[in-house]
Amino acid sequence: MSPNSTGNGALVPFSGDTNDSLSVYTLHHGLSRPISRVAISWSRGNSLRVSLFAEPSGSPDAGDGAKVVEVKLGGGDPEIDDADWRRIAYGSVAPFALLQSRRSSISALSKSPSSYHSDWWEHVLQYSKDITSLFTEPKLALNPIIEDPNEIVQNKEEPTCLKAAWELMEIFYVDKQSQAWQPERLVDWLADYDCLFTSTQETIHGKLVDFQNDLVNIQVIEDDPRYWEVMSSALSVGWLDIVVKMLRLHGSYKLDQLSYRELENGLVEAVAVLISKMPRLRHKSAVGNLGDCFKSKPDFIKAWEKWRSQITKLDCSPFWIQCDNKQTREGLRNLLQVLLGNTESLCTASCHWIELYVSHFLYIRPFTTGIENMYTLAQKCIQLKPPTGTHRLTGLMIGILAENTEVVLAEISREFGPWMVAHAVELLTAGSEQAEILLHDERYNLGGISMMELHRLAYAQVLSSHALTWQIAPIYLTSCMKQGMGLLENLLYRQSVQHNNLLLKNIEICRLYGLDHISSNIMKVAGVYHWKHGHKGAGVYWLQQSQDTNCLNRIAQQLFDSVGKSISDESFKQWEGVIELLGSESKPAGGLEFLHKYRDFKKSLQMVYSGKSADAARQAAGSLVLLMKNPSTPQRFWLTLLYDSLKLLNWKDSPLLSVSETHLLLNKLQELSLARQRPQFTEPSLPHQALSSIRLALATNLGRAILDE
Amino acid sequence: MAKELLSLDNGTTCSSWNYSGIRLATGSTDGSLSVFDFRDPASSSNNLRFTFKTKVHEGNIAKIVWVPPEYGDVVGCVSTDGSVSLLEEIVEDSQPLQWKIRKTFGSNESKVLDVQFGISFTRLKMVAAYSDGHVRVFELLDPLELTNWQLQAEFQNVVDSVSSFGKALCLSASISLNPQKCGSEEFSFLLSFNSDTPELNSSKVWEFDQAHRRWLPVAELALPEDKGDRVYAVAWAPNIGRLYEVIAVATQKGLAIWHLGLNPNHNGRLPVDKIALLSGHEGMVWQMEWDMSGMTLATTGDDGMVRLWQSNLNGVWHQQAAFEPTS
Amino acid sequence: MAVTAISETSQIHRFPQYKYIHAVRWLPVLSAFNRFAVLASSDSDSDVSSIEIHSFKPNPISFDLHSSWASPSPISSLKASQFLQKSVIAASTSSGSLHFLFADSSDGMLESEVSVPENELHSVGKSCIDLIDGGVECVTVGDDGKVNLVTVGDSNLNYRRLFDSDGLVSYTAVKWASPVEFATGGYGFGLQWWDQRKPGDPVSQFKGNWDTKLTSGIVHSIDIHPSRKHTCLAGGSLGTVLAWDLRWQQQPIILSGAGAGNGAGNTAVQSISESEVWEIQYDRCIKSNTSSTRILPAMICSEDGILGVIEQGEEPIELLAEPCAINSFDIDRHNPLDVICSLEWESVAILTRQ
Repeated sequence: MSPNSTGNGALVPFSGDTNDSLSVYTLHHGLSRPISRVAISWSRGNSLRVSLFAEPSGSPDAGDGAKVVEVKLGGGDPEIDDADWRRIAYGSVAPFALLQSRRSSISALSKSPSSYHSDWWEHVLQYSKDITSLFTEPKLALNPIIEDPNEIVQNKEEPTCLKAAWELMEIFYVDKQSQAWQPERLVDWLADYDCLFTSTQETIHGKLVDFQNDLVNIQVIEDDPRYWEVMSSALSVGWLDIVVKMLRLHGSYKLDQLSYRELENGLVEAVAVLISKMPRLRHKSAVGNLGDCFKSKPDFIKAWEKWRSQITKLDCSPFWIQCDNKQTREGLRNLLQVLLGNTESLCTASCHWIELYVSHFLYIRPFTTGIENMYTLAQKCIQLKPPTGTHRLTGLMIGILAENTEVVLAEISREFGPWMVAHAVELLTAGSEQAEILLHDERYNLGGISMMELHRLAYAQVLSSHALTWQIAPIYLTSCMKQGMGLLENLLYRQSVQHNNLLLKNIEICRLYGLDHISSNIMKVAGVYHWKHGHKGAGVYWLQQSQDTNCLNRIAQQLFDSVGKSISDESFKQWEGVIELLGSESKPAGGLEFLHKYRDFKKSLQMVYSGKSADAARQAAGSLVLLMKNPSTPQRFWLTLLYDSLKLLNWKDSPLLSVSETHLLLNKLQELSLARQRPQFTEPSLPHQALSSIRLALATNLGRAILDE
Repeated sequence: MAKELLSLDNGTTCSSWNYSGIRLATGSTDGSLSVFDFRDPASSSNNLRFTFKTKVHEGNIAKIVWVPPEYGDVVGCVSTDGSVSLLEEIVEDSQPLQWKIRKTFGSNESKVLDVQFGISFTRLKMVAAYSDGHVRVFELLDPLELTNWQLQAEFQNVVDSVSSFGKALCLSASISLNPQKCGSEEFSFLLSFNSDTPELNSSKVWEFDQAHRRWLPVAELALPEDKGDRVYAVAWAPNIGRLYEVIAVATQKGLAIWHLGLNPNHNGRLPVDKIALLSGHEGMVWQMEWDMSGMTLATTGDDGMVRLWQSNLNGVWHQQAAFEPTS
Repeated sequence: MAVTAISETSQIHRFPQYKYIHAVRWLPVLSAFNRFAVLASSDSDSDVSSIEIHSFKPNPISFDLHSSWASPSPISSLKASQFLQKSVIAASTSSGSLHFLFADSSDGMLESEVSVPENELHSVGKSCIDLIDGGVECVTVGDDGKVNLVTVGDSNLNYRRLFDSDGLVSYTAVKWASPVEFATGGYGFGLQWWDQRKPGDPVSQFKGNWDTKLTSGIVHSIDIHPSRKHTCLAGGSLGTVLAWDLRWQQQPIILSGAGAGNGAGNTAVQSISESEVWEIQYDRCIKSNTSSTRILPAMICSEDGILGVIEQGEEPIELLAEPCAINSFDIDRHNPLDVICSLEWESVAILTRQ
């Protein structure tokens, strides 16, 4: 592949031509002083943030010191506004995903991913139709058209170049069924989109519209040379219904004139009938279109020859001499020349080379098949009618006819942006094996990915740049074999965790695509965020979800400080919520597990104090022993726990603790007094006689327990 | 095409966006830090709002670096006097949410020129480059306590560890971490200087040798004849699946794109390959940033332009577009 | 321009809005001829957030902007109710302010607005509100753990703090049960019951330790049926829908989600969704003839694009399966066959059930 053939082979196709001349864009900042420094930062996707700092100024009213601007690179088609682009982006997700799943199920069946099922194109055609349906802008309400006898051209929905380009590719690459009547599809295509070419040069559609606007001012229509001119133009591109409708505007049809213009009217009607009977090699007629349709070529050839002979016969008819209206006579005969495929007449009648091209298919080479012939014919038409300006659709058309996939890719990439390339690749690969190889081939220069993948990544980057479309990007990224997941991870990692809705969506995407390590990291970030921002409960929740025992243990230490302060008073109740949260978890709670047990102990102790039965007291004593045994119980709580349990230790009816249990507690007390020697020991805030009263209670309990046993 | 997000006060010298692009921290000549937030990241609507301002240093703030979000909302502010302060946004003891200074890495003889933060083996590390050509790696001991740091290593940016350059004078330094995610493994970084000591200048890739508990230079990104070139900026591209790393190095000779192999050769070095040398900014390059796919490089420099660079389908690097600021 | 689809069970109209819709509500109105819906929208191109009233006409189908009010920032919670001759709309914004809008009940025109400024009620943006049925009392809860009561008086707005957990517990959902009682929900599928006659702490807490196998999640929405005030229906993460009966505190009934089929009284049912259940409402349209021990049927919408009805012990009914999330929905009170929902992809759908 030569460097030239790739044209603008940019990784991320930015708008504007980038081949030779460097495109320089201006960044307006509105600062009054000169810029001394510029800082840049990529946001998600193709969004680049630029900070522009002005030279420092001593005067206080120097105005703003800096500006921050955002530049979004590689936008799409200027013809379509942002909101509508998003609608198309949303709408194309389902067809794209469906096609990908069909591809994978087919390749799973056939075990050879490259050779598609023979009827693969049918799936692609369905996909193409689904995508096309998005181009009709639902914003514009379609008013029912009131039949106006003077209305020649109907004001249909505003066609877009995007839709025209898509349909063109569909005609040539996908729709195998109508391949036999490809030229006819091109005729229909031009009928729909001829108006688009008006932007760069005169077209037949433009002429028709102009004429229609003047129609009210014209007294005798057939005397106006434009009437005949416009008709031959419309006829040359096969707009039969328009021509027939216009012919019937001829003055000879008027009731008051019919009597003395009988012959003239007969000729007009004869031409109109011939036009409406034109044989067409096509499946079925477009809605409202005239002409006789033939599905099989032999039938068509037969009909065509018969029809041609009828025209020739009319052309040589003696009636022309008897017709005394010169304008009518010459106008009609010119129409016949068009029908007979007179090159000169066709050339005069058409404006744009594509119009001339289409007229060739209709009247000169109605039996053309094969794309090679179509390409040489196109070149000939361009020679005959050199374009006055370049139009965004003509480059694409030539690329398609020349069977140059690279040119087609470069054209659609430059003119329509990443959305188009990422989606049109499916059409291109359905069309030819050569295109498939070109697009699927993995290249070292691209970092080991194929062009197909590259274009999907580029589109995903565009989606990622917008807050409302980033969540579509995973659909495209997961269809990329090599680098999609890597980019998806980067995208997910760069989402903010502050807002739950966004965070949960993020986690949901991780869950769908099995990115557990990313979701665990995101949850950790969320946990730390909430913890540090004072939402302790939410922080603990997310850290538990991310199973970050390291942080949870640290948090436990911090919480114990707070709990320690409020241990004996009622404010412990405020911790209930957090503890409740911990209790519902199967996930590790780290050192926080203690808090949960401690809460349960406090509960049973409260019941004891409120005068409940001895059973409650026994239960509480059991919890106390369990707590003191548990290694997760922090040492600093030992004394407090024991002090809180004084009533249990001094239980009147019978000792609640056995000898061994009492020994355990005494040992803990001993350990504690040793720990007190160490410098980092923190003294719990308890009355100073606390230790001695615990000792006394334990000693008493021990004595009673020994007696009992 | 360009949308204005914010106007900043006179005297603002630097700015830095956080990981998600919804918070902006700016530094000023009077040593203050300001923070701005997008209110609703879900719809990205509403402009940035000012949320906090605090005085950090006496001197000018030269650079602001965000700490990875796993450690909260934390920034490091490098001041022109060569100290680094860490500030974190936190609610403490029923006080309202505010930014507090957690730690200041002071300067005695040498100044801090650049810092970067990264996570390796779930530990936060700070890599700081000093004006004497040294680099220090600090480690955070407690994930929730940003005051406790430990010096893990100190060395000079030279391939031959025997030589030491005591009297080096460095104007600027540039650190770039290998942008890997989640920090589950050891990280590596790229370091270069703009100094009067040629041996210090060239960009080297440093990796931690677990076996010997020391940092080793595993690659040098300079051709033999360019080794003494002063380096203005370096940037390590995110790798979303390439079989090699891509690194951009800016010197007075231009902007070089390097490929760095992933697997070391027999002497423990990573293979390097200079892919392109591009010219664009006349003079100094201030900053280089890769986009999240690692395919587009954005640069700024002395000519005041923002330039974008890409490789085409044939692997040829070229300037893709440029932006010229105008008032 | 609407895109209409007809399925076996309902007629669906989709209306692209070209802006993000945070929430939708039917506006309670007096007139039988006019139907109005309230939309909380954000236009990402112009950075404008607003509350819009749209009029809905079924024949010919139309959904046109009727009147609107520009909000200082995006709406995070939206509720509508009827008070005297007015329709009341309450909305909290992501910057923390709370707004009451009053609309004429017959013509749906916005007439007046009163608000509580930022930072008065909550210190963080995200808050959730509920407006009492037929009144102007609004309870607000937030991530910061604050619970407030806001009342619109004759000439002023009164608000007071009912509780402050100092962030130890965050609240993500709230629903009135009676003029003096309400329920809140939060992290770890936590539910709390509050009674204004007993100020301070919640009077009852839903115990989370009933099934350790259940993966934890967040409550996003609560509904309480006026005829069964003892049962609190909550929807949240992982497709979870559970009913908490105050009389049987330790045994929630899981109607959908990861834990469905486990626990006492739960018959094995298929989960309608596996992701976040953003909103839940009792489906007032389906008349359940089952005994009073069973949970009444409820409608949910979810992150994975499901709008559906679940009923205890029955297979769930899917009304809508969208490729994008359904953020919120509302069942029309006067005409419970009609459901409006907001789709993440910048559009609104109205379902008319047969």
